[in-house]
Amino acid sequence: MEPIVIEATEDTPKVHLDAVNNKFLIADRSLPENSIEFYQPIFEWLVKYTEAPKEKTNFEFRLEYFNTSSAKQITKILLILEKLATTWEVVVSWYYKKEDLDMLSSGQRYAKLINIKFEFVEFD
Amino acid sequence: MSENNGKLDFAFTLFNAMRKDNVGYIYRGYFTQSITDNILALTESSLERAEPSAKIKKRVYSIMVECLQNITRHQEDAEMDLAKAYGIFVIEKKNERYYITTGNLIDNKNIPQIKKLLEKINSLDPEELKNYYKEVLMEGELSEKGGAGLGLIDMARKSGNKLSYDFKNISDLHSFFYLHTIPSLTKEGGDAEGGEDSLQNIIGIHEILNNENLLLIFNGNFNQETLVNLLSTVEGQMSGPTSFKKKIFYITVEMLQNIFKHGDSLNIIEDGNPGIFFISEKTNAYFITTGNYITKDKIEDLTTRVEYVNNLTKEELDDFYNKRLFNFDIDDNKKSGLGIIDLRLKSGQQLYVKFNDIDNRFAFFTLQAKIPKA
Repeated sequence: MEPIVIEATEDTPKVHLDAVNNKFLIADRSLPENSIEFYQPIFEWLVKYTEAPKEKTNFEFRLEYFNTSSAKQITKILLILEKLATTWEVVVSWYYKKEDLDMLSSGQRYAKLINIKFEFVEFD
Repeated sequence: MSENNGKLDFAFTLFNAMRKDNVGYIYRGYFTQSITDNILALTESSLERAEPSAKIKKRVYSIMVECLQNITRHQEDAEMDLAKAYGIFVIEKKNERYYITTGNLIDNKNIPQIKKLLEKINSLDPEELKNYYKEVLMEGELSEKGGAGLGLIDMARKSGNKLSYDFKNISDLHSFFYLHTIPSLTKEGGDAEGGEDSLQNIIGIHEILNNENLLLIFNGNFNQETLVNLLSTVEGQMSGPTSFKKKIFYITVEMLQNIFKHGDSLNIIEDGNPGIFFISEKTNAYFITTGNYITKDKIEDLTTRVEYVNNLTKEELDDFYNKRLFNFDIDDNKKSGLGIIDLRLKSGQQLYVKFNDIDNRFAFFTLQAKIPKA
């Protein structure tokens, strides 16, 4: 599977999805005007990945900000992972900057609603 | 509610006042290098869209650079409460012509010297101005701050028109120094007179901004590009704990995207939707306000939704948000169904809305979020 590597811009996140190297990351800012369009290739990649996944998938969210339309796209990613987690080991690492309580509580919200193991990691 | 209604009317009044004179962008606050860069980026991108002539674009841009440098260079002089010393930068476009205005605090004792220099500059024709520039450059008669005199001469040369200026006394020690430039549309220059009226209008607006403690105002067309540039400015301007700054950021994003996703334009096709955005600071809270046109058929639904969200408790809000988060029936390029709930959750306060009548089809919609200081 070809990896997806997208560099961050001022309003779109860095995306690194690489099955071979076991890297699953979405980072920085996600405030696109059209988030559905931005996230579409990511959904497609993930769905394909779930057909032949790794023993263990550690998906990292290291976001600084995301807007509400991205919130919904993140839900969709997590739903794909939730399905994967019924057969395989899946861990979501939710990073939040020290003092960024809104980001922490966003992660906790997802952890409550989605049936996957979440770990919360504070970073500087 | 009553406390805020006055302010909500104020948004529409300000929008109309700025629209009338085509005031596009006002920044009031402390000027740092990064804020200056963002102002230039923001105004450059609107210039890019609005101005067909490359020469004029370049002229306006280089004058803006000079003006902003002038402010950053001199604002430290003020030894007083920072908020009262906030400088201002304004750009407006009327009848194909640009007006660039800066206002910054200066020591009263420097007034005669600045006045003398400006009088001299305004008395010279282009050729004399060029020689005077060289003369000052060679004699090295630079102020300790690094060439304030040269900056003004350079501005006059680039502008091609006389510089308008004024001083407004605010204490025994300080005055605001306003400088108003109207870049010439011709190579020869000398094609604009009477900058006095438009300067006095800006001085009036500055007084309103000072009274209301308005920090940043953008009036113009809103799109994703404006959002990105405004965000950088907001980030640079806000101080306080990280969590508070992040709240301001989140709320700004949702409110600005709201303008270009859900607002309307009176004209058929514009690059983004027209509107106004400003941040004001009061003793205990910041207020973020947006105003934009909407078609009247949206009023009822919007009112109902805001009222509904305003009346929910924290737990109910959380539940409602969660429900919406998984409701993929509302999920297209424009709508996630989460925006208003998120504004209410992040601010922890009620949202204020107001509709002003425009005509049969349109209303002006003002939305305001209050963010208490930590």
